[in-house]
Amino acid sequence: MPSPTKIAAAAAGLIALAVFNPGARADEAVKIGLEIPLSPPGDPAAGQLIRRGAELAIDYVNTVQGGIIGGRKVELVVQDSHGQPEAGVAGYRKLATEDKVIGVTGFFHSSVNIAVNEVAKEIGVPTLATQASAADITAKHYDQAFRTHAIDALRVEAFLAFFKKQNYKRVSLVGETTDYGIGILEETEKQNAKQNAGIELQKITFDHSATDLTPQLLQVKAFKPDLVINIAVGQPVDLMMDQAETIGLLPATPMLISYDAPVRPQYWQLHPKNGSGIYFIAYYSPKEKLSDIGEWFAKAYQAKYNEPPIYSSLNGFGDVMILAEAANAAKSTEPKAMVQALETGSFKSWTADAVTFPHADGPFWHNWAPPILILHYTEPNQDWRQAEILLEHAAAAR
Amino acid sequence: MYSPELFLQTLIAGVIIGVLYALMALGITFIYSIVKMINWAMGEFYMIASYAQYLLVAYLLGPDLWWLGALLSAAGVFLLGFLLEPVLIKPMFRQALERQDEYATVVTISLLLLLRNLAAALAGPYQYKPETNLPLMVMVGPLPVAGPRLAACLCALAALAIFYVVLRKTWYGLALRAAAQSRIGAQTAGVNILRLDQVAFGIGVALAGVAGALLAPVFQVFPTDGAVTTVKGFEIIVIGGLGSIPGALIAGVLLGVVESLGAAFISSPYQNVYGFLLVLLILLVKPNGLFGERARQA
Repeated sequence: MPSPTKIAAAAAGLIALAVFNPGARADEAVKIGLEIPLSPPGDPAAGQLIRRGAELAIDYVNTVQGGIIGGRKVELVVQDSHGQPEAGVAGYRKLATEDKVIGVTGFFHSSVNIAVNEVAKEIGVPTLATQASAADITAKHYDQAFRTHAIDALRVEAFLAFFKKQNYKRVSLVGETTDYGIGILEETEKQNAKQNAGIELQKITFDHSATDLTPQLLQVKAFKPDLVINIAVGQPVDLMMDQAETIGLLPATPMLISYDAPVRPQYWQLHPKNGSGIYFIAYYSPKEKLSDIGEWFAKAYQAKYNEPPIYSSLNGFGDVMILAEAANAAKSTEPKAMVQALETGSFKSWTADAVTFPHADGPFWHNWAPPILILHYTEPNQDWRQAEILLEHAAAAR
Repeated sequence: MYSPELFLQTLIAGVIIGVLYALMALGITFIYSIVKMINWAMGEFYMIASYAQYLLVAYLLGPDLWWLGALLSAAGVFLLGFLLEPVLIKPMFRQALERQDEYATVVTISLLLLLRNLAAALAGPYQYKPETNLPLMVMVGPLPVAGPRLAACLCALAALAIFYVVLRKTWYGLALRAAAQSRIGAQTAGVNILRLDQVAFGIGVALAGVAGALLAPVFQVFPTDGAVTTVKGFEIIVIGGLGSIPGALIAGVLLGVVESLGAAFISSPYQNVYGFLLVLLILLVKPNGLFGERARQA
């Protein structure tokens, strides 16, 4: 039987541990995880742009707002997903279990986000997709999965509205065999069949690492479409544009690029001759009204990077702000409290509209989507802010 | 949707891309022939040359002198390989290491990781494309081919031809062939085998550099732009036979054609799979490759 002295010493030690637990200091920084592609085969340009936004959000919270949960500073912890699911999962585990982040955001590649969500379901730290659009990210209705980006269903609704507006009857879809590419192809087929608008679709897929798309594009040319949709991410987008021009498909047949790659600074350096006339999806127009924090961000971004912010950076900023606001509302950094705060709260982001994450049906679960625009470059070296806006498709309430 | 025209077009496309892959494979197989090691970082020397080409054309030479840029880029990569070899590879022979293959694998994979991440850190995430003064499109039979892609193919053939002539018709080529047959025999005949390794390594990576510089306008320039061509290079040396130079060219063309026709007439998403199926078939039928020989070791 231990002596009373030893029992008292043990009790004092336990009490001291409870009171002075190093894991619960009030002045300790609150960490927010950022899982982004910073190296190939991911899209590092996207990762860098999202990171810029996230870092400015940290600055805003710390310097303008004075921190969260009683003045605690926030800190960004970055992991490189390489655009690969296995690296993404390893990164998430480290962020959640070692760095003890309150949430992980920044996801760009759908395949990474989908894989991470399977682990997030077990660990509990919420994920917030910044620019990953596959339906499965939120369609599985995991409590921990959230998103502030347009999903495939909305993107395809915009496609079909565009086909109708332009009176296209034959459309070729050329997509990479990733979750993103296959998701959009299947959703387009599904919605086209449901609408029954008499549009004939040609579906062609290719491996993301393909170095020659001539065989695929020759098939497209033989089909004689009214429009070609370029459903690739990163370098294959440019390869498809260049090879389509070589075989005479462009500029005779219009091409629609399925995401906002053409707004990036490198676009006109890569496509000085064939970049004009291209249609592309965008999620933000400078004519769109920003919130007050969005205005702060736009000015700070311009001052720091000498160029106006584009959507990737805006949403990277917005997502970090949302996680900080959720922690503040929950007055806690515990995963369950964070999830509840995200589900029940209304958040301020870069856009004038408030962001909420309702329990909606299908992939609209925990999803807030910006409007989808279809822009058109009408002349070479055109600033994306001057591009013609052909369509604006807002997400209907679900 | 078969048509004779589509068949011919995809055949030509396959031959063109195959020649380009063969250049990469040649570098790998040549280094193996002389230095008896696989250089897993070949794609990174390709990448360095592609960045060099972009920088030279964009800031110094202009699009009209793209060909000079390619020569300078290849020469620069040769020099880099020549200087790196004594530091990284020579210890394998000088210190009479027992596990040379493992040493070479560890060293070259480490070099791969270092160079790739250094490029991502220094050059940033954006892609680049050096301009040329080549025509946008040239008709090769029924197939329209981008000017830079066709020029890369023709220059690759020229590089292969020059390489063949040097190997067959010069004293240095004779020394290289002797070293490929027997390092000890060549040493006995008075050849400085360690100096020959240095030159051979330089030449091997320069071949990858030629491919990188020529293909920069075609595939763009970014930190892992050499990765896919490296994989193709290794497929080719398995198909053609390790150490066989004619094998590299024939296997390259064969791989390009199989992938191209498979994508056009069977199913396009499995384009890369057809190449690997060809590799498996060759391994089953001719394990040393189409032109490979069994190694003779004392």
